[in-house]
Amino acid sequence: MIRLQNVTKDYGGSPALINVNLHIALGEFAFLVGPSGAGKSTLMRLLYREETPTSGSVFVGGVNLNRLHRRQVPLLRRRLGTIFQDYKLLPRQTVFNNVAYILRALGVDEKEVAKRVQSALSVVSLEHKGDAYPDELSGGEQQRVGIARAIVNGPPVLLADEPTGNLDPATSLEIVQLLERIAERGTTVFISTHDTTIVNALRRRVIYLKGGEIVSDVDSGVYELEPNLNV
Amino acid sequence: MRHLRIFFRVIIETGIGVKRSGWSNWLVVSILAIALTIFGGILQLTMTMKNVVTACGSQLEISAYLKDGFQPKRVAREISQIPEVQLVEIVTKDVAWDEMKSTFKVASLANPLPNTLHIRASNPQAVEAVAAKVKLLGAVENIRYPLKVARKINDLRHFIELAGFAITAALSAATLTVIGNTIHLLIESRQREIEILSLMGVSPFYIKGPFILQGATYGAGSALVAILVLTGVHLYLDPYVTDQLVSIAPFLAKNLEYGLWETFAIVIGLGVLVGAGGSWWTSGRYIKI
Repeated sequence: MIRLQNVTKDYGGSPALINVNLHIALGEFAFLVGPSGAGKSTLMRLLYREETPTSGSVFVGGVNLNRLHRRQVPLLRRRLGTIFQDYKLLPRQTVFNNVAYILRALGVDEKEVAKRVQSALSVVSLEHKGDAYPDELSGGEQQRVGIARAIVNGPPVLLADEPTGNLDPATSLEIVQLLERIAERGTTVFISTHDTTIVNALRRRVIYLKGGEIVSDVDSGVYELEPNLNV
Repeated sequence: MRHLRIFFRVIIETGIGVKRSGWSNWLVVSILAIALTIFGGILQLTMTMKNVVTACGSQLEISAYLKDGFQPKRVAREISQIPEVQLVEIVTKDVAWDEMKSTFKVASLANPLPNTLHIRASNPQAVEAVAAKVKLLGAVENIRYPLKVARKINDLRHFIELAGFAITAALSAATLTVIGNTIHLLIESRQREIEILSLMGVSPFYIKGPFILQGATYGAGSALVAILVLTGVHLYLDPYVTDQLVSIAPFLAKNLEYGLWETFAIVIGLGVLVGAGGSWWTSGRYIKI
């Protein structure tokens, strides 16, 4: 579902990613870990085509993103659910409207919008908060709205860039368990994080990125600050 | 149906944008309305002048004013020999003077008017040839014919047109700047929202469309204001202008056209074009998707 071949990303002399090779299969759940500045966010941005690689190829759902025309980028992003550390909710829209926005922009009729939004909100247990505004919610609730928005269009891939970065440990665990439940329904979930607690609690595939290079890739792994090299 | 729903949502987003713009809506509409009113006024003036020119051009009559001491009948006979002349009518100085006295209060003076011949050419193309031949006659002091007047009006029209379009172009450039700044401010205030929408995979049409439609709305609104002003001015001035023109050239009573609807259509078109164009350019420049 996600494949990177010899990907290097260089920001004018300082490489953020160096010759990265990676494959994540359909329905897989994986963590991308590493210290700050390791290149996690850059790798995520390559996947939703916010950036393009300096060299190498990035494939998502069989599509080579290097060859994707600018006009086709929105089509790619509709097939990806993206979750962000700062939630990126529309502050002047209710929870319902935040989740409904993309469906309305795609011309889905209102009955179907209501049905799908309610369904997405019930997955994140926020069906009773539809009329609330983002600033009336806790950080954990806002992130759950972000997840509902990411899954409302039924994407095959869910990317989460530091989804627990602004949350306390207990809420972080709730969020990541929620993402795990979503993965069980067949969605590929790829989470970038530097939160050892959530990674170690779930014991799923862990890809360790350091200095722009993958130094470890372990199934059922843990996040150690100095990993054993086991690529 | 899906596209219709998307378009409907874009209109809703446009409404939200207009609401958020607050006082700057009025600023943009006022400036654009002033530009369009000036443009519309000049356009209407030049269109009216063009119609007057056309009406003058189709007139067949030439007036020849005779020098004192020449017999009008004899000169009329001479002129009627010209092949392109269809009819010659004599208005003696006494008849003209009586008519003038019956129309206006005239002081007791000696009759200053000349004997006049009204000459009708056989077709509009012959008017100038006949006028040239008549002017050469020794008995003729001066001649006047509508085509000659038309030329003068046409020269003036060209000048007004040129000056008017230069003023409109300058005002439109100023308006484009104001629209651009308003839309730019709106884009800046919604930058985060735009970023989020882009990351969600919302199409550029859906993101930029409301800004462009907002500009078009400004244009249409300004055009309506300009049309109201122009209609008011037209209703106020029409009787006066018509009287003046008809008194100069009586044949205009039947032919006078102001080109009002054409002016309104062009004003709306220009307003929407400037509004939407300014927004399109600004959103293209500041929204990077």
